[in-house]
Amino acid sequence: MQFLISGIIMGVLYCLMSLGVNFIYGIMKVINWAIGEFFMIGAYVQYLLIVTVLGPRYWYIGVFIVAFCTFFLGAFVQKILIKPMFVGMVEEKTEYATIVTIAMAILFRNLAIFIGGPYIYTPPDYAPPTRIGPLPLSGNNFIAFIGTIAILALFFYFLKRTWIGKAFQAVSQNRSGVLTAGIDVLKFDMIAFGIGTALAGAGGALLAPVILVYPLCGVIPTVRGFEIIVIGGLGSIPGVLVAGLSIGIAESLGAAFINPSFVDIYGFGLLMLILLIKPYGLFGKPERSV
Amino acid sequence: MILPFYLADYWIYALTLTFYYVIMAVTWNLLGGYTGQFSLSHHTFAMIGSYTSVLLIIKTGIPLWMSMASSWIFTAFISLLLGILCLRMRGIYLALTTWAFAEIVKTYIRMDFEFTGGDRGLNAPLFFKTMNPIPYYYLFLAFAILTIIVIAIIMRSRIGYYLRTIRNDEVAAQAMGVNTVRWKVFAFMVASVFASVAGTLYGHFTGLISPVSGDFYEMSLIIIFVVIGGMRSQAGPVVGTISVRFLAEVLKKWPEIRMIILALVVILIMRFFNGGVMEFLRQGVQRIRQRKGRNPVSGLQKMEPRQR
Repeated sequence: MQFLISGIIMGVLYCLMSLGVNFIYGIMKVINWAIGEFFMIGAYVQYLLIVTVLGPRYWYIGVFIVAFCTFFLGAFVQKILIKPMFVGMVEEKTEYATIVTIAMAILFRNLAIFIGGPYIYTPPDYAPPTRIGPLPLSGNNFIAFIGTIAILALFFYFLKRTWIGKAFQAVSQNRSGVLTAGIDVLKFDMIAFGIGTALAGAGGALLAPVILVYPLCGVIPTVRGFEIIVIGGLGSIPGVLVAGLSIGIAESLGAAFINPSFVDIYGFGLLMLILLIKPYGLFGKPERSV
Repeated sequence: MILPFYLADYWIYALTLTFYYVIMAVTWNLLGGYTGQFSLSHHTFAMIGSYTSVLLIIKTGIPLWMSMASSWIFTAFISLLLGILCLRMRGIYLALTTWAFAEIVKTYIRMDFEFTGGDRGLNAPLFFKTMNPIPYYYLFLAFAILTIIVIAIIMRSRIGYYLRTIRNDEVAAQAMGVNTVRWKVFAFMVASVFASVAGTLYGHFTGLISPVSGDFYEMSLIIIFVVIGGMRSQAGPVVGTISVRFLAEVLKKWPEIRMIILALVVILIMRFFNGGVMEFLRQGVQRIRQRKGRNPVSGLQKMEPRQR
């Protein structure tokens, strides 16, 4: 039972990461390979804010500021670099976006080493240790869990209830159809990219005391995020939730009953299994060609 | 060919390393450039190859050539498995899965230190039983030339046209009767086996293998070489590898600045000038020919509206 709970907690944390990637994919049909670096930037900014200005008690203000900053950074990057992939608003060049975002990831990583050095920074704890029922839990994990749930709820409210959220759903369904309905697709692309990176940045800020802050701290969450996306199905938002929870549970069960040092492998095993049974993921549909 | 007799040992070493990267870049160009399937675990297959070969020698004591050959077969098997699983869908699935695969293999090798030596790495037996770099230089040169020739033959054959069609329009390729999944898996396997060949040679050249060779840094280097040299050209990856490796040796003291510059160059090339050095050279040659008026056809082409 307690493995189940800790699995669910980890799963929810992974969801935040893959939600950013999957949302961007749904809108623009682009994988943002630099998402882990936005996570890393979020963690760095949060560390700076907490150490210099805010102090550990006001971490939640930091999360908002970080989300705001990464939103603008992401939107700026999209406007400068990713937008040219759309020739005539609809046709896309996937290869271009892949290489550019990978190069961006390299750039940000080395900038982080260049500016902050290859050191590991440890932010102060957000909260003292707590317990849920029989399960002792570090306060940082608990806060990350609560914060992630809040962000996910906010995101779903935004997507399902507001006019802009509905417009996003429409864009992800049919780009050229939405153009005729008078929605500026390119502008929505920019906002969607910003939202995706803001989700990653907020995740970095929330998880900073758990994962610690160093130039490669975005890699492991990103691996999980990509595994979740493939398991859940590309571009499917409910798929992310189910896959994230199942990966978290699979990992904690595997760590408990098989061998704790190979935690990273169980998720990949699950991915292989899903690919074998359902090639397009749990909730994915075979994409329409032409 | 006679270069090694005029250079210091360090530069022969650097050149040998360059030939290793030439093999990797040329084979990745077959996959990522011509076929349009982004494998992000090319370096991992090199690492799997070197680890399998060294572990076989350490655990069972079979001769070196036999362990190298069996590690190539092992890599072929693994790439076949991965390819069959994720190449049934669009290319993006391969990129996602191989990226996760690369990180997982690296983490596994770091964690299972009793079996694989962990972060400390393993001592590999040397190929020529000597540390003198000159024989390795010729070995790597020979394998690099062999790789380039094999890839050139593949791209000139019927298979090469299949692969190009798959990249340009997969649906059209299917409609024309190309078994797209089979040829994608074929390209993936060829590239991975060549990566494994390069990896085993590299392991038995340096005498030490470690999880560092599975770092994403290596993959990004390969992508940088291919993009700067020019994707989808025979000579592009070779030119890119040699020039970028030279630049990297010059800027050796500032590794972060080096990578920042290279990443910026890649972004700029993709943004403004898709095609890299080879495309630049080709356009330059065309312009000189036009100016001399040697080629009357190009004058006619100038009259036509420019294709976008």
